[in-house]
Amino acid sequence: MSLKAIDSFETRVEKALANPTLKIAIERTTSTARMKRAAAVAAWPDFATARDLARQIKDHVIENLDHYLIEFEKNAAASGAKVHWAATADEACKITVAICQAAKAKSVTRSKSMLGEEIGLPHALDEAGITRVETDLAEHIVQLAGDRPSHIIWPALHRTREEVADLFRAHHHRPQNSDDIASMVASARRELRQRFLDADVGISGANFLIADTGSVCVVTNEGNAELTTTLPRIHIVTAGIEKLVPSLQHTMVLLRLLVRSATGADLTQYTTFHCGPKRPGDRDGPEEFHIVLVDNGRTRMLEQGLAEMLRCLRCGACMNHCVVYRQIGGHAYGGTYPGPMGAVLTPVLDGLKETRDLPHACTLNGNCQEVCPVDIPLPTLLRGWREKSWREGLEPQTVRVALGLWAFGARHPFLYRIGTAIAVRVLRRFAQNGWITSLPLTKGWTKYRDFPKPAARTFMEELRRQESREREQGTKP
Amino acid sequence: MNARDAIIGRIRANRGGKAGDPASIAAAAKALLSKPESGRPRIDAGEPGAIFAAHLVSPKVGASIDEIAGLEDVPQAVRRYLDAQGLDAGIAVQPDPALLRLDWTSFDLLPRIEADAIVGVGKALWGIAETGTLVFHSGPASPTLFSFLPLHHLVVIERTRILSYLEDYALLVQDGAPPRNVNFITGASGTTDIEGTLVKGAHGPRFLHVIIVGPGSDRSNDGKRNDRTD
Amino acid sequence: MPIISQTPRAANRPEVGLFVTCLADMIRPRVGFAAMRLLRQAGCNVVVPRAQTCCGQPAFNSGDSGHARQLAKNVIKTFEKFDYVVVPSGSCAGMIKLHYRQAFADDPAWKARAENLATRTYELLSFLVDVRSFRPEGVSLHASATYHDTCSGLRELGVEVQPRLMLQAVEGLHLTPLPGHDVCCGFGGTFCVKYSSISNAIVDEKARDIEATGADLLLGGDLGCLMNMAGKLHRRGARTRVFHAAEVIAGMADGPAIGEEA
Repeated sequence: MSLKAIDSFETRVEKALANPTLKIAIERTTSTARMKRAAAVAAWPDFATARDLARQIKDHVIENLDHYLIEFEKNAAASGAKVHWAATADEACKITVAICQAAKAKSVTRSKSMLGEEIGLPHALDEAGITRVETDLAEHIVQLAGDRPSHIIWPALHRTREEVADLFRAHHHRPQNSDDIASMVASARRELRQRFLDADVGISGANFLIADTGSVCVVTNEGNAELTTTLPRIHIVTAGIEKLVPSLQHTMVLLRLLVRSATGADLTQYTTFHCGPKRPGDRDGPEEFHIVLVDNGRTRMLEQGLAEMLRCLRCGACMNHCVVYRQIGGHAYGGTYPGPMGAVLTPVLDGLKETRDLPHACTLNGNCQEVCPVDIPLPTLLRGWREKSWREGLEPQTVRVALGLWAFGARHPFLYRIGTAIAVRVLRRFAQNGWITSLPLTKGWTKYRDFPKPAARTFMEELRRQESREREQGTKP
Repeated sequence: MNARDAIIGRIRANRGGKAGDPASIAAAAKALLSKPESGRPRIDAGEPGAIFAAHLVSPKVGASIDEIAGLEDVPQAVRRYLDAQGLDAGIAVQPDPALLRLDWTSFDLLPRIEADAIVGVGKALWGIAETGTLVFHSGPASPTLFSFLPLHHLVVIERTRILSYLEDYALLVQDGAPPRNVNFITGASGTTDIEGTLVKGAHGPRFLHVIIVGPGSDRSNDGKRNDRTD
Repeated sequence: MPIISQTPRAANRPEVGLFVTCLADMIRPRVGFAAMRLLRQAGCNVVVPRAQTCCGQPAFNSGDSGHARQLAKNVIKTFEKFDYVVVPSGSCAGMIKLHYRQAFADDPAWKARAENLATRTYELLSFLVDVRSFRPEGVSLHASATYHDTCSGLRELGVEVQPRLMLQAVEGLHLTPLPGHDVCCGFGGTFCVKYSSISNAIVDEKARDIEATGADLLLGGDLGCLMNMAGKLHRRGARTRVFHAAEVIAGMADGPAIGEEA
């Protein structure tokens, strides 16, 4: 069960826009990310060719998803992994909790997994009375603060260093003495060390599921994922079914694009491939290795014309470049995933009726698609949601009426000419010194900006006057 | 109907109901790899070791390096590092026979790696020049935790085992069964989660020092090349 | 199926149908006249079909594909007879050139007509440079200007270099780059009124960037964006004057800027 937002999009947006610290935090993280990505792309002259190949690889997998899922399951099982299938978020949580309960697990460490957030795993573990230790630094901060991730790569970007310092002082056994960031990171390292060692179960996500070997690839930077997945007796992976890749070679291409698009690096510090549980000869590793394959709307996406969205590598580039995300931040989206990819995914997960604002709160400027490493046509998919919303009658009556009137007029040029001529004269009445500061009917524009006074006649009127003048004078242009 | 059948069923129904032909699917997947140069940036011509070293010390990776002629010089290189860092700690050595047989007599050799280990000396299976990456396979000679617990991780890599591209590794291992764990390590652990500021040493090692072994270096044995980036 | 002329009547004097756009028609006709002047200077016969109204973009972007298709059919019928269709707006040109075929995805006959029209449809500034190799001659304007790239023009149609090439040929005009010139201004059609507080946050940042350049003028290729930015600049008390780039290139920037009384 995913946690749905209880207040409205508008309320969340107003809250976000009223918070200047949030804006500073968002801009700091996203501008660095944009700059680093741009530098990485500039350093690779044939980046566009690789991007096209990545798209082809993902499209090939999506077209043959059943084949690759079955191949993955077979090879993973052969390596000693236990593969579970979950059609819904609830099923995925039940399976995961059941594994923990069967192992009599008291404490569980988690490395960052957006899929885990999506299915509501933190809540499910808490409900089951299992101590959950988030080990990714940002998720650790989010856990201490009791709130939710606001970006898929930097979940705690909405938190200032002062807030983090306070949280650590309140919750860590040996918190930092000074509030410089290095000391805070050291405090987290100390705090979590023993928790890593004590955990009975480690739960991770997956960036790629490699079909021909049944391996799971996880990319991180902190080292927490390896401590989470090596120390405990049991390692559980929760992964969306779209994470399949045919082979390790295919994975390398995708890795190159994923990491450059997310952080601008060539590779993350740690790229780890898991294949089965501990073997004879291994000196460490989990006794049991479970993989939970989660659908939760992904097959529905195939059915609803959203197959291209399944290409998503979860790099975060789209939100880093989105002018809307950059102003309102992640929480305003009210779901697990923010930004452009969130605006496409959230209606799948939470229903269009509750989430219709997300695909509409977009200028369709296309920067997201441009920076997407697998060329997902995000504006087209968002427009697709708008079409569905219109067909299902979810759009406000005022909009339907206004558009209906406009379309009627525009289909009848004679009426249109008259209507526009009248509109122009009416609008001019509201103007002073060339500007309208308060427009009739729609407050949205003039609440924040002035509206330029229209010229005295429409272009078509003016053109007709000029042409009759020319005819009278016997001149031609 | 169980979840597996439901999921596979829905996927197939969307495509008209049938399972695909495995042979043609495999052929299509293979065809996507027919031009490896389309999927990767070109690295400069030249010895992979030099490119590998350059990546390691670049700000993006931020490791330090030392270059020596032979494995027998490793303990000396480790001593150089400890002195440069002002460290007086015991060291844990990865149970790789090639390391264990070296002369560690002047060191306080710890019997195993602890959670609060200060120094761990390991040996990578391969290096990858394209990214400055070290590759480890879990196994008797290489516990996974060895690369993640110490504060200072010193890694020995033979120059002859440095590959050019990520795919070169994939091709090398494609015929065998993978080990339980493969770790690609590219630099020391770090995080930018607080205000975007980079801090090294989140949960994994804070310092990565790579000792490149083998002829082809013009700096063997002089111990001067010890670029520290912190 | 109507017979559609495939070859220009005279290769060096093509017949251009001018699609004026709603905003130019209603708010700033000077843009339409600047377009006519430039097209004539570039050696084209300009025709302004009186049956034109709206390209249908507001309906299309609101998800109202039914009305969008109706308006698209009107545009196609009105304009498919011309050698070229030229539009002083990246977003309207993009609508015709890229999105009409999407609107008719399930109607092969109209899709074909849309695709045919698309091959001959151009945004004005890129048409002048790419198709007519046009540069302004004898046009001068002594001022500093900064240029904002409209998103649809930039990303859908590749309009970027062309306006700058022509502006550089205007004597005395000093172009200063706008940081974030390729970042959306927050207009987005109905977005700016449906989600006005977010639009405001975006355009406020844009206005600050524009003001910080110190340029006398803000120029661009789309009236919607220009009105959005001009309106914000004016509300903020900025002294930046805003024109459509076509007006400057046509030597018509001696007239009133957006919002100025004649």
